[in-house]
Amino acid sequence: MAKVILGSWRDDVTDNRGLKKSAIPEAFKGLKEFESGNDILAFMGWDGFFLFDRDAPVVDMARAYVEKAQEESCGYCTPCRVGTKVVAEKLAALADGHGRREDIDAIRSMAAVIRDASMCELGHTSMTALLKMMELAPEAFEEAVAGRAPVKRGNYRAMATAPCIEACPAHLDIPEYVDAIRSGNYYESLAIIGRKNPLAGVCGRVCVRPCEFVCRREELDEAISIKHLKRFVNDQIVSYVSARSKPLEEIPSASGKKAAIIGAGPCGLTAAFYLKRKGHEVHIFEDLREPGGMSAVGIPDYRLPRDVISSEVRRISEIGVKFHYGKRLGRDLSLSQLETEYDSVLISVGAHGSKSVGMEGEDANSEGYVAGVTFLRDLNLLHHIGEFKPPEGTRVVVVGGGNVAMDCARSAVRLGYSKVSVVYRRTQKEMPADHEEIEGAMEEGVEFLFLTHPVRIDAEAGKVKGITCVKMDLGEPDASGRRRPVEVKGSDFFIECDIVIPAIGQSSDFSFLSDGSGIETTKWGTIAVDDNTMMTGRDRVFAGGDCVSGPAALIDAMGHGLRVAHCMDQRMRGEKMSMPEAERMFRLLKTMSLPQAPVNRLGNKARCRLEMRPARERTSDFVEIERGLKPDEAIREAERCLRCYRIALFATEE
Amino acid sequence: MTTIIETKKKVRLEIDGKTVLAPEGATILEAARAVGVRIPTLCYHEALSPIGSCRVCVVEVEGVDRPATACNTQALDGMRVATRSERLFNLRREVIRMILAHHPLNCSPCPKNGDCELQDIAYEYDLAPNDFGSYSIKTEEYPWKEFSTPILDYHPRRCVLCGRCVKVCKEIRGLGAITMAGPGALASIQPALADPESPSRCVSCGECMRVCPVNAIEERMGGGKGKPWETEKTATTCAYCGVGCSLELNVVNGKVVGVTTDDATGVNKGRLCSKGRFGYAFIHSGERLSKPLIRNEKGELEETTWTKALTRVAREFRRSIAEHGPDSIAGLSSARCTNEENYLFQRFIRQAIGSNNVDHCARL
Ligand SMILES: Cc1cc2nc3c(=O)[nH]c(=O)nc-3n(C[C@H](O)[C@H](O)[C@H](O)COP(=O)(O)OP(=O)(O)OC[C@H]3O[C@@H](n4cnc5c(N)ncnc54)[C@H](O)[C@@H]3O)c2cc1C
Ligand code: SF4
Ligand code: SF4
Ligand code: SF4
Ligand code: SF4
Ligand code: FES
Repeated sequence: MAKVILGSWRDDVTDNRGLKKSAIPEAFKGLKEFESGNDILAFMGWDGFFLFDRDAPVVDMARAYVEKAQEESCGYCTPCRVGTKVVAEKLAALADGHGRREDIDAIRSMAAVIRDASMCELGHTSMTALLKMMELAPEAFEEAVAGRAPVKRGNYRAMATAPCIEACPAHLDIPEYVDAIRSGNYYESLAIIGRKNPLAGVCGRVCVRPCEFVCRREELDEAISIKHLKRFVNDQIVSYVSARSKPLEEIPSASGKKAAIIGAGPCGLTAAFYLKRKGHEVHIFEDLREPGGMSAVGIPDYRLPRDVISSEVRRISEIGVKFHYGKRLGRDLSLSQLETEYDSVLISVGAHGSKSVGMEGEDANSEGYVAGVTFLRDLNLLHHIGEFKPPEGTRVVVVGGGNVAMDCARSAVRLGYSKVSVVYRRTQKEMPADHEEIEGAMEEGVEFLFLTHPVRIDAEAGKVKGITCVKMDLGEPDASGRRRPVEVKGSDFFIECDIVIPAIGQSSDFSFLSDGSGIETTKWGTIAVDDNTMMTGRDRVFAGGDCVSGPAALIDAMGHGLRVAHCMDQRMRGEKMSMPEAERMFRLLKTMSLPQAPVNRLGNKARCRLEMRPARERTSDFVEIERGLKPDEAIREAERCLRCYRIALFATEE
Repeated sequence: MTTIIETKKKVRLEIDGKTVLAPEGATILEAARAVGVRIPTLCYHEALSPIGSCRVCVVEVEGVDRPATACNTQALDGMRVATRSERLFNLRREVIRMILAHHPLNCSPCPKNGDCELQDIAYEYDLAPNDFGSYSIKTEEYPWKEFSTPILDYHPRRCVLCGRCVKVCKEIRGLGAITMAGPGALASIQPALADPESPSRCVSCGECMRVCPVNAIEERMGGGKGKPWETEKTATTCAYCGVGCSLELNVVNGKVVGVTTDDATGVNKGRLCSKGRFGYAFIHSGERLSKPLIRNEKGELEETTWTKALTRVAREFRRSIAEHGPDSIAGLSSARCTNEENYLFQRFIRQAIGSNNVDHCARL
């Protein structure tokens, strides 16, 4: 626990130097070391600073902070572009021992100009901590002038971040790629995305976009359409590049090391892409005949056309990643075999089994009872080649309230069933599915039975005839804060149907793991990995994606892929393994959970709406529903971004 | 007859105590100008959408702590705006000071001297070179780099990074051939390439040079330009094509040294293409024909009069038609003619000569 000696956040001052005391954080729980054995001495952020050590190098830290601000300044507006340069030079002079008293005043006045007159949040926030330090610890600056000798130097870890960057599991530099769109530099924008995310076209369509939920523009009017902008820039470049049909160049495998990846889902693809970029030979082994994992065989084509996935995968194979389809770990390959042939192995097999609802008659495997993920997989693999045989019948009941349930229901509508119903045990408000998905399903004629829980599958002669449900009531909130549904006694009722599709969750199949492999699974049915390195209990074997986190989202799996590639690379090069430094800082920021400052700006400009195919037209096929942004809309949307950049800096012992 | 119905809603706001009724969507700057309140600007340019980069136009809006930039902040109903205060004066002065910390204040040899927006605003805010001694930063040397076109030279140290050139190229030329790229104090204007290998999209129109408030973009068409006060401007019409853009020939000592435009005049409202803006070298060329010439028996060109020359042409046309028929004659007209002139020309070839062999150089 890091105890605050002197600090301030949003003008709330904590002073434990024996002078005065205040109520706000005296200490940060869970914050002590930057990495093991390396204590944090101080923190400087966008709304203030905290000193945890009496000897924290105040002046030199301020210099490092402002130098970082100058490095991150985009150069667009005068105060931040020139001002941070001037302040950084003056602080460097102070730290070097040849500063003058006037410099202190000049720093103070220029800092105020930068704060008040800059354009974006980087300039608005980069001087706050410095000004506060000069106010609360003026002696440090005075001494630097009087001493006429270099001040104590420190070690710093600094980065530019933003709320949206922090919320994205892959920590994409969102404001930067949005800004490149605003300037019309689409190629550059896609390259910025590609630093963290090789599947821009996929994420630009179906990402669950945690970034948009924290977007600060929401306070003024509406969040930025980060997802749509990603799709826009991907589609612009893809059509441009494929028009020239120039393949990417293969990256040579210079390291002499080989990595095997099990599963060509988002996690495996991402890890493969970055391992290849780091110069390793990379082989992906995939059970199915096509790549993409759940993005291909889970998500239906009307949300994510398969040619989007194949064009992204083409780029991954163009740089030299080798794909081996129809190879299943546990059937065609064994772990020990891979371990002898490869320098490291990644298990990213996802979660493809279906969790059971716990209804009576579920185990009977009656005809017409199809697990959601199985239904979608067969549909996705076979429908576009005309070989899909939909389950027979006319009435479908889908059980569940998440996105998978919505995909099943909306696909069923497209297959022409006469009635499709969703039963969910809580109300619409509690549904975990995206509200756009729910509204889309409603528009397409899906019936929703809320506060309804299935208890029994009724079958006759091995064929589903219907489903018996009970009505529920919302009781006390549970651990997740959602009100727990309780059964209403005697409210049983029967729904006649031919097909029941349970879609309440997925589980992983680890039958390829033998006892004594050293790889452990958790009580949630996932593979246990070291939080720092993502390595399993067995040396050189790593795991990531849904099979580690449990069913999550694409971008979570891709964030895993990015991180695991970092550590696999270190392991193969024989270096000490450790999560990327930025990841460590994001976690420390999360631990500190500092209060956000309100947006102090003027603005009213609603986000751009996407054109959708009308419900009547779209329900008879699997053609993509959403149309992309047009260039002028995209630029207008990009212009709305406030660029909430801010600098975080940790002063550490080493 | 059509009646124009004013559909735009109006917003009512107060600027420096004056009540303003501005159309919805107007900026604070536009609203202020409408009632004669002057707010200083540098990056703002009437022909372009607001840029918001220089931060000179800051104003105070009641209820918001941070000053807002008038050029790109929408005027809203009920707003109370102050454009003058000690705080604003200081902010503006400091911001200009920062620009000058980067810009070499070497005005006397600069051809913009006397016609420079930066010089004007520095003067207005009473800033002289020794005012920012304490701010002067170690300016990094920029390596010389090819700009988007060889016809223009870009000087990063003179550039105030207002961003007008980037905007004009995107909004008026419709290209986006240049962009601003950091980091920080090393930011400069650079060619914007669709991908690293693609060629520059620039068409050398020089629009970027036109809107540059300082002398950061210069044409490389030969030196010897005069200062604004020794330059005589002659308004004329571009002779290159039928559009007929208005331009001003800048004349020093009887010699054309450049072309400028007036944003308010003519069909082009200040815009020109590369020919109109840079194609003036022919005016003083020794090879330029100024009198009609006829080839004599020895095959040499000899000066003559228009009457003699045209009579000779008419005679040869007749002879050719008589000996070989009208199809032996073809007409090729010039893009420098107007539509009407081209029309007359083809009528002449078809009717007076009797040939259908007529075309226009723009089709070649
Ligand atoms: C229907 C559905 C809809 C979804 N919609 C969204 C959405 O809109 N947005 C979103 O962000 N997320 C969505 N998700 C979640 C997202 O698809 C997953 O979180 C993500 O695909 C997980 O990636 P992964 O790489 O860990 O695993 P997967 O994508 O599951 O990939 C694992 C791969 O490994 C292969 N494999 C499995 N076992 C073996 C083996 N033994 N040997 C060889 N290969 C094997 C599989 O065939 C598969 O290709 C959805 C999921 C489903 C099921
Ligand atoms: S980062 Fe923001 S404040 Fe800094 S120069 Fe760019 S726009 Fe201005
Ligand atoms: S406004 Fe831009 S920078 Fe700020 S949170 Fe939203 S997307 Fe991120
Ligand atoms: S010369 Fe014209 S096309 Fe070229 S950069 Fe300047 S404005 Fe753009
Ligand atoms: S070159 Fe001229 S117009 Fe372009 S940013 Fe620099 S000063 Fe502005
Ligand atoms: S004139 Fe408004 S920011 Fe430059």
